[in-house]
Amino acid sequence: MRASWREHAYHAVLWLVALLFFAPIAWIILSSFKTADQILATPPVLLFRPTLDNYVQLFTRDSFLHQLFNSLFLSVSAVLIAVAVSFLAAFSFSRFKPAGTDFLMFLLLSIRMLPGSAAILPVYLMYVGFGWKDTYAGMILFYAMFSIPFSVWILKGFIDGVSPRFDETGRVNGASWLRIIARTILPQVMPGVIAALIFNFIFVWNEFLFNYIIGGLQTSNVPVALSTGLYSSGGVDWTFISALTTVYLVPPVLVVYLFQRYLLVGMTFGTVRGEV
Amino acid sequence: MPSEATAPRLPAPALAGGIARFLGRPTVLPGLLLIPVLAFFIVWNTIPTLWLLGLSFYRFSLTSGRAPIYAGLLNFQNILNDSGVWLDLSRTLLFVVSGVGIQTVLGVALGLLFWNSGRLPGRRVALTMLFAPMVLTPVASGTFWRLIYDPTFGVLNAILRGLGLSGANFLGDSSTAFAAVLVVDVWMWTPFMVLMTMAALASVPKAELEAAEIDQLSWMQRMRLVLLHHGKYILMLGILLRTIDSFKTMDLIYNMTFGGPGTTTQLVAITLYRRAFEAFNMGWSSALAVILLLISIAFTATFIFVLHWREKAGA
Repeated sequence: MRASWREHAYHAVLWLVALLFFAPIAWIILSSFKTADQILATPPVLLFRPTLDNYVQLFTRDSFLHQLFNSLFLSVSAVLIAVAVSFLAAFSFSRFKPAGTDFLMFLLLSIRMLPGSAAILPVYLMYVGFGWKDTYAGMILFYAMFSIPFSVWILKGFIDGVSPRFDETGRVNGASWLRIIARTILPQVMPGVIAALIFNFIFVWNEFLFNYIIGGLQTSNVPVALSTGLYSSGGVDWTFISALTTVYLVPPVLVVYLFQRYLLVGMTFGTVRGEV
Repeated sequence: MPSEATAPRLPAPALAGGIARFLGRPTVLPGLLLIPVLAFFIVWNTIPTLWLLGLSFYRFSLTSGRAPIYAGLLNFQNILNDSGVWLDLSRTLLFVVSGVGIQTVLGVALGLLFWNSGRLPGRRVALTMLFAPMVLTPVASGTFWRLIYDPTFGVLNAILRGLGLSGANFLGDSSTAFAAVLVVDVWMWTPFMVLMTMAALASVPKAELEAAEIDQLSWMQRMRLVLLHHGKYILMLGILLRTIDSFKTMDLIYNMTFGGPGTTTQLVAITLYRRAFEAFNMGWSSALAVILLLISIAFTATFIFVLHWREKAGA
């Protein structure tokens, strides 16, 4: 039974590593059930009577539900627009390889490689000039734009993987391109579409800087609320921060759990495939 | 688009046929499909970038209320002569090199550790916990790590005191702040390199591993001849993506130290933020943004170069 003992020890080590990385997040979650005094107790308390007060306060804060709605609305609509538009472009790039494809793909990627404050600077000036600041349309379209490079890259990779023979068969049988796209290509690249949807969703969901700069009271999302609502009555409002972070953490972590097989493709612009 | 002038005059079936013929032309459909993305690209990228380029040659402060004044290359000269910017750039370089270096070493080690984790009970939950730091909102991580690092209330100092060591004001002390921020970055992004290492390991054909087993290659030989041979592209892409993202680090630091104390954690993205959105010195900031844009383009070109290299190698 020595091998089995070794395997147990090995598995224990793996779990230890996973728990170590999760520990700070666990500490946030734990704190969200403490009172303000308990959060700031020295030494920190591990055993306490959990309270739901922080959550009650969070959800009765008038601005919070609005900001949570903004987070959801901005990320879902931007991502849907981006993926739809990107799918068409990726299809064109993959199948027809119009002149300048490589150059455009390069330019698209370089947008995502630019530091946020450099990317937002001219957009800020443009939005101030046109009066688009703090409008839903302005925010959604900008986020859509920022999600397009990633989506085109990921979807082109997947469409490249579908043999053009499928298109030819469709053409020979008299199907229109639209029908070929909807009926034969789309079902085969569904994993790519899902990966593009969820990873852009996480990006917009977590995004802070752009929202802070080109958004405003009407369109601010939860990260902005977190960053600007830190202080209350003279001190940092840790109960608010921990409860809010715990609530906000749920969708991304669920995504990692439910879509683990897309994690790799999603974190690498679709340039690396496979499962872990 | 079918031309507006001729369309109404055609009977319906002919119109449909005309559209179909029009779409069937070899150059029309590819172009049509690209229109939405190109429209996005032109409005939200080309125009702003040209605006940025133009502005970088002007003296323009948003708060002065005066029109921009053409200044030639003055902004660029000022930036290149600004020792603060050079310090911030070298600090960013140090942050990128040390951060990505540590993440790569740790990530590869842990990735190798997780190689045979196929039969781990609750594997999916364990991996979710491991990968959670990279999907947590950076604003939230940055903020909450402040509490963890807090000199009086922080859990880290409580642990240190419990071990009989003296605590420290990690984020408030200029000698430890940079390392403290780096630790959080390593915590957030080591899981990414673990993920990439696991992918690199998974890309090795089983037959070659078995052959290595039969040939009784040493551990070092196996690493070099089998794993590195197949996995190197994936690892390189991982390191590059990390380098680019690390160069962009903004949200985390904004909420953890905002570049302080002093400028000890001020990376170049924060510098630009301060000059653009606190001092509203738009001409100077545009010039710096143009310089960062050139650096990003160089990174992107390297990334694509590695991609092509991998394609050529057929891996």
